[in-house]
Amino acid sequence: MSQHKIDILERALAREKAARKQAEKILEDKAAELYDTKHKLEKSYSELQALLNKTDSQLQGVFENIVDAYVIIDLFGYILKMNDAAVSLLGFKHNKENFNLMNMVPPNEVERVQETFKKLFKEGAVTNFHVNIITKTNQNLLVHINASVIYDQGIAVAAQGIVRDITKEKEAERQLIESENRLAILIQNLESGVLLEDENRKIVLTNTKFCELFNIPVSPDFLVGQDCSHSAEQSKSLFEDPEGFVSRINDIVKIKKKVLSDEVKMVNGTILERDYIPIYEKNTYKGHLWKYTDVTLNRNYRKSLETQKEKYGNIIANMDLGLIEVDNDNKILLTNQSFCEMSGYSEKELIGKIGSDLFPIEEDRGKLNDEMENRKKGQSNSYEIKIKTKKGEIRHWLISVAPNYNLKGEMVGAIAISLDITDIKNLELQKERLLGQLAKSNDELQEYAHIVSHDLKSPLRSINALVSWLKEDNKDKLDKTSLQNFNLIEETVEKMEQLISDILMYSSISSDENNKEAVNLNEVVTDLIKMLYTPEFITINIIKPLPEINGYKTKLQQVFQNLICNAIKFMDKENGIINISVEDFDDYYQFSIQDNGIGIEEQFHDKIFKVFHSLKKSKDSTGIGLSIVQKIVQLHEGKIWLESKINQGTTFYFTLKK
Amino acid sequence: MKTLTILLIEDDMIEVMKLNRTISSLQLNHKIIEAINGEEALKILEKKDELPDIILLDLNMPKINGIEFLGILKNDPILKYIPTIILTTSNNQRDLLECYKIGIAGYVLKPLKYEEYVSKIEKLLAYWSINELKQI
Repeated sequence: MSQHKIDILERALAREKAARKQAEKILEDKAAELYDTKHKLEKSYSELQALLNKTDSQLQGVFENIVDAYVIIDLFGYILKMNDAAVSLLGFKHNKENFNLMNMVPPNEVERVQETFKKLFKEGAVTNFHVNIITKTNQNLLVHINASVIYDQGIAVAAQGIVRDITKEKEAERQLIESENRLAILIQNLESGVLLEDENRKIVLTNTKFCELFNIPVSPDFLVGQDCSHSAEQSKSLFEDPEGFVSRINDIVKIKKKVLSDEVKMVNGTILERDYIPIYEKNTYKGHLWKYTDVTLNRNYRKSLETQKEKYGNIIANMDLGLIEVDNDNKILLTNQSFCEMSGYSEKELIGKIGSDLFPIEEDRGKLNDEMENRKKGQSNSYEIKIKTKKGEIRHWLISVAPNYNLKGEMVGAIAISLDITDIKNLELQKERLLGQLAKSNDELQEYAHIVSHDLKSPLRSINALVSWLKEDNKDKLDKTSLQNFNLIEETVEKMEQLISDILMYSSISSDENNKEAVNLNEVVTDLIKMLYTPEFITINIIKPLPEINGYKTKLQQVFQNLICNAIKFMDKENGIINISVEDFDDYYQFSIQDNGIGIEEQFHDKIFKVFHSLKKSKDSTGIGLSIVQKIVQLHEGKIWLESKINQGTTFYFTLKK
Repeated sequence: MKTLTILLIEDDMIEVMKLNRTISSLQLNHKIIEAINGEEALKILEKKDELPDIILLDLNMPKINGIEFLGILKNDPILKYIPTIILTTSNNQRDLLECYKIGIAGYVLKPLKYEEYVSKIEKLLAYWSINELKQI
């Protein structure tokens, strides 16, 4: 072994020794470092542990003191833990009750709850789950649940949840919706057109009336969101002053200040009242509301009211009737010009005076007081009264008074209209007097006719008696001619007597409505035909049944008797036929009596109805018969005429009112 | 047949003659008292022991007319029992009603012809002859 070798070895050893020493030093250092770190770690762990414990208990406190109910359940729904809020909400007596929450779920909610459970375990949490439950104390509640799953080392072991009673909230919400709906319906059906725009002039809300007023043919909902910046321009043609309408709207929108009762007239005559109400929220402009109300009727009503008022004002001022208004004490409050003229007093002299003291004459004052009493009971009345004018003239007034009420319906006096009827009254009195006189002179005339006829007939009777005595006493002494002459005297006397009777009858035909009765003409004429002497060669036929008529029986009988007798009297044919018939017209009957006798010349057709115009002088014709017939027909508001041909016959026609 | 005492109140002379002649020609024994107007008749009727059985009264008379006379008669406690028959020319309904209202025993119209007059009077008197009358 060489030194050299040894040296090399020794040097190697020394290097090794140094290296080992160095390594030992590093190791020592590292060990110390490690210890230090471990120490630090331990400290930090314990700090962490403390922190954790603290948080845990803090949380515990939070859960226990939380306002909302907090429940932990196991995977089957049994309650593991709950706070006091949960105890009271769910109706438990204490928090240690062993109860399965599923028992609180009503049957109709079971399915939903099960699905939610599945979702909970699948996703680890559910929020905002609304469910109806029945609590231990049998209360129906709507609850809101947020729940999450509790895991232990990754395995679900339980679920926890916060349960909030939202029954009331829900109810309030429902009510809110309802009231919102009501409001919406109200707006929809408002009698005013409403348009709500936001700050960008987009429509937020409008209603049916608005669409109607502006001729917009779509439903109001459809307009929501539309821009209104140009709508004024589009609608302007509907208005009487289109440019004014647009510029006014632009001004209003620009200024953004409340504008009420702007009036705009539409072309179709509608008058609208427009309100503009800007809406501010915390001083920020958020939009505005337009409201259009159709006031056409109101305006027109007011206008026509004013016209009417003016009209009646004019009438009152200018009418010929006196108008006077008095208060409850009869103090005169107002008169018109005519009243002043009628009474002779000036308006100044009348106002404030007591009307009932001023005018009536003494004898009518009581009557006036009665009328005033009636008026106090609220009655309107009209009456005639005699009054004295300022000049002392007595005049007749017709007064019509009505109570006057104020707006509250209290009687505050009366308004009277008076008409001077003195002239009419005088005429009336005159008429009454004349009528009285007429009745009297009619009566007198009747009397006179009777007396005259009596006085005229008496000598005839005497002549007749004397002639018959002469004949009787000289039966054997008189020759044939003398006897004939006596007979002629008797005939003349008889004719004279008939004449007087006829004149008396003619002058006695007058109407007296009270003696009218229902007359069955068929009976009358049938009886008449039986009673009359009819030669055998003459037949009388009633062609159509005669009607019943309201009239004077004996007089109507006279008409038929006269006409039938005439037909018999002037019958020259071997087969005489007399036909009686009737035609029914609207308000009268037309009778006809037709014969096939000698006929009457046309020139006499009118004349024969005149008194004393007998065509054939015969011993039993006085010439008054047809005059009497005509007078009776006229009394029944009818007329009489005839058609005739010489040698062929005559038909008399006459009408009688139904 | 009973013999009647008849008071005839009539202002017309010929009418009086007619009644007299009628009664004599019919050979009746009735006694006729004549009065030419109401006043005279009332005077005759004052003698209460010689009252007539019936009265024939003309309505048309001067001074007191027939209806007035009838009124006076019917207001008298004794005279009102004497049947009074109106014998007149007037067929005025108003007169007729008035007379019946006051109280009459008949209303006979004087006919134009004397023969008819005789026939009417004959019947009238025959009727009253068989009637029971108040005893005077």
